[in-house]
Amino acid sequence: MKKILFFLLLALPGFSQNFKLPRYEKLVLPNGLTLLLMEQHEVPVLAVSVGLPAGAVYDGAQYGLANLTAESLKFGTKSFPKALLDEKLDFLGAQLSTYATLETALLTSSFAVKDQETVWPMIKEVLVNPAFDASEFEKRKSRLLVELKQAKQRPSAVLGEYFNHFYYGNQPYGSPADGTPESIGGITLDQVKNFYRTHYQPNGTVVSVVGDFNTAAMKAKLTTLFKDWKKGTAATQPPALKAVPNQSRVLLVNKENATETQIIIGQKGVPMNNPDYVGIEVVNTVLGARFTSWLVDELRVNHGYTYGVRSSFDMKKAGGTFVIRTFTPTKTTIPAIDLALEVIGRLYTKGIDEKLLASAKNYVKGQFPPRFETPAQLASLLTTMFTYGLNDSYINDFQAKVDALNVDSVKRIIQTYFPKDHFQLVLIGKTAEYREAAKKYGEVSEKQIETPGY
Amino acid sequence: MLKRFCMWGLAFWLSVPAFAQLKAEDVQSFTLKNGMKIFVLEDHSIPNANMYLFWNVGSRNEKQGITGLSHFFEHMMFNGAKKYGPKQFDQVMEFNGGQNNAYTSQDMTVYTDFFPATALESIFDLEADRIRDLALDPKMIESERGVVHSEYTTGLENSPEEELDQAMLSVAFSQHPYMWSVIGYESDILNWKREDLVNYFKTYYAPNNAITFIVGDVKLADVKRLAEQYFEPIPVLAPAPPVVHNKEPEQKGERRVMVNRDVPSPYVQIAYHTPEARHPDYYALDLLSAILSRGQSSRLYKALVDTQIASEAYTSFAPSIDPYLFSFTAQASDGKTADTLEAALLAEVDKVVKTGVTEAELEKVKNQKVMDFYRSIQTNNGKANTLGRYERYFGDYRKFFTASEDYRNVTVADIQRVAKTYFKKSNRTIGVLQKETE
Repeated sequence: MKKILFFLLLALPGFSQNFKLPRYEKLVLPNGLTLLLMEQHEVPVLAVSVGLPAGAVYDGAQYGLANLTAESLKFGTKSFPKALLDEKLDFLGAQLSTYATLETALLTSSFAVKDQETVWPMIKEVLVNPAFDASEFEKRKSRLLVELKQAKQRPSAVLGEYFNHFYYGNQPYGSPADGTPESIGGITLDQVKNFYRTHYQPNGTVVSVVGDFNTAAMKAKLTTLFKDWKKGTAATQPPALKAVPNQSRVLLVNKENATETQIIIGQKGVPMNNPDYVGIEVVNTVLGARFTSWLVDELRVNHGYTYGVRSSFDMKKAGGTFVIRTFTPTKTTIPAIDLALEVIGRLYTKGIDEKLLASAKNYVKGQFPPRFETPAQLASLLTTMFTYGLNDSYINDFQAKVDALNVDSVKRIIQTYFPKDHFQLVLIGKTAEYREAAKKYGEVSEKQIETPGY
Repeated sequence: MLKRFCMWGLAFWLSVPAFAQLKAEDVQSFTLKNGMKIFVLEDHSIPNANMYLFWNVGSRNEKQGITGLSHFFEHMMFNGAKKYGPKQFDQVMEFNGGQNNAYTSQDMTVYTDFFPATALESIFDLEADRIRDLALDPKMIESERGVVHSEYTTGLENSPEEELDQAMLSVAFSQHPYMWSVIGYESDILNWKREDLVNYFKTYYAPNNAITFIVGDVKLADVKRLAEQYFEPIPVLAPAPPVVHNKEPEQKGERRVMVNRDVPSPYVQIAYHTPEARHPDYYALDLLSAILSRGQSSRLYKALVDTQIASEAYTSFAPSIDPYLFSFTAQASDGKTADTLEAALLAEVDKVVKTGVTEAELEKVKNQKVMDFYRSIQTNNGKANTLGRYERYFGDYRKFFTASEDYRNVTVADIQRVAKTYFKKSNRTIGVLQKETE
């Protein structure tokens, strides 16, 4: 039943208010540290997001080194032993966490304005004067080992790591950011200290603050706070991205007692600074990023193969991937994959018509403002924009770029960015049940989930 | 809480409030002739709004044979009514720039719509259609059964905790419907009939069995006009939904449950029966839970995680309509046994019972509660969800605005008293999940 009745019944939605990035100021300190300050006076709270070029792309063979280094910042500082740091922050209901993603190490914090004289010095200490306490480091390592072993008992938690490693191989983007039990076991405190010395520098780092403050006063406060952080010697560049696979391949990861299969179907994507990112988001909305998307409609609604399916672009500085993720009971593994592949093909065979495009455009515009509703969301946005070299038009031109899309430009975007073959599949489950059938998708390689690494 | 659709990858909300200016009087309300109460909170900070419908039905209203039906019904509410057939609810909403979701718990079923404020009328139209005339198409029931079965399978496959939780509930409760989890039994999932759904719809989906919260860039007058136009004509169903009369009898002796699963180290859970949200001890128990397990300065972290007995340890206590559980859960560190872990957890229980907590610990968690309130209402969605849950659990959304005071009034003596009252050996169930040991 394909009624289009509802297009006549309901007036076209009008979007009178175009979301713009609120005003903010940028200041670069003599040591190279960048401050981005956005006043938001609705509530007496501050949200802080610090981004450092110290992500897992610098791990080399020591998977997990960047993340362990970021976590180690909170194992106590010159002035605050770990227990005191935890106690003080918890007492104020303040939040402060440190971790590393593939490309960036991050510190995020939120606290009441009235507590800022207590919390700012802690943030500074954590960033600039970590003590790298040896016993805390060993304790964390031992907990991490259990967590990583446990992760393999949750296929959904490791599917992405398997795919990244399968797709990028030993290149930096293939590095599992949390590490593996084998790699973590081998990391020493000296290596962490060395990683810190090399990658934690004010130059290349951004401190984004959003909340209830006066910009001039905050500039003065942070300039004083960070003035002793010594400028580093050289800005480091991550290793360049080399070739990625261009032949169809399948990785089967056997988990003998599995009752369902976790699935990724992936291919080449786009880097973060792609000029067509808005068009890509709109097309992907149609394909697999909303409830009426083609993938959800077919795999979930029409066939009941799965509770969830989604397509997305994982965008990084130098490249990226396109992935479809889903899961299904073992017996419907092959039908679900066949259907997903057929649905991607519809972008080419069927395309996106005026009405569908209008719906997708309305949807992405309607869901845009709530993405930037809170100080923490805005602070994170500022850090992301700095990290990836995006200017304000990334936000401010969003609606105009959506409005400008038409059937022809969307067709070009599909042909340029959406894959139609040479897919890379990763399946975690009881692989004996579909080993033979999977050969039709490409060259098959196999692993046991117990085998170390991804 | 089971959601209709898990949108992975949307990394959202963390941190900070819009509470300072928000007052109980800002929430306006009116009641339609059919008994549906509607609450409106105008907030014009972004050009969006939401609608949250809280239905007074959850897995506590089920019985064996139809376990999990509340959650399945939640799914079926998206599968076609009279004016808008299968798929059209979502098609129309998304065409208008909106999206939706829903979740089911033991105590309630909540439907959520998030939309640009310009779409308000079509949201009313869509909701009214399915509340009044849900179709329950047999073909849609069968495909949705597959979806829910996949949800059941993936939950167990990827979560040892889920498997342990299910076993714990089945032992801790002997008579109350809290004994099964919200997703239900697999054998029921595979065997619900259409008439079960039809009965459920007739029994529970009457306008006088729901409350609605609308928060965002809307005007009260517009909401009222649209509510009268779309919701008010929906008839009241008689008789009123049956009252859940099952009461869990007092537990008279420790219970144990063992689950074998291939996990790298054992999990232990200890659960005590504790009172419902409207009981005066709720606030003391909630603060005690935070003292025990919130943050790295908490008791369980210091005593179990920092000492390398457990890789993680937490407590769980949440508002409920009927008396539920206060539970302790931990996973052992490499090489540590379930017995060691259990002894370490029980030692912390004993410590609270025997020596209570300090003023500083209590002050800390009270401060955290204040920040929590800020964080819970930093967004329109946070406000709608929090206010609705207060209305449902505590009987009045205004309790949200006095909660700081209710927490503030708790003393260290209260904390020790509730620990003594509820953390008794005869009142507990202990569960262990680990590799087969023989």
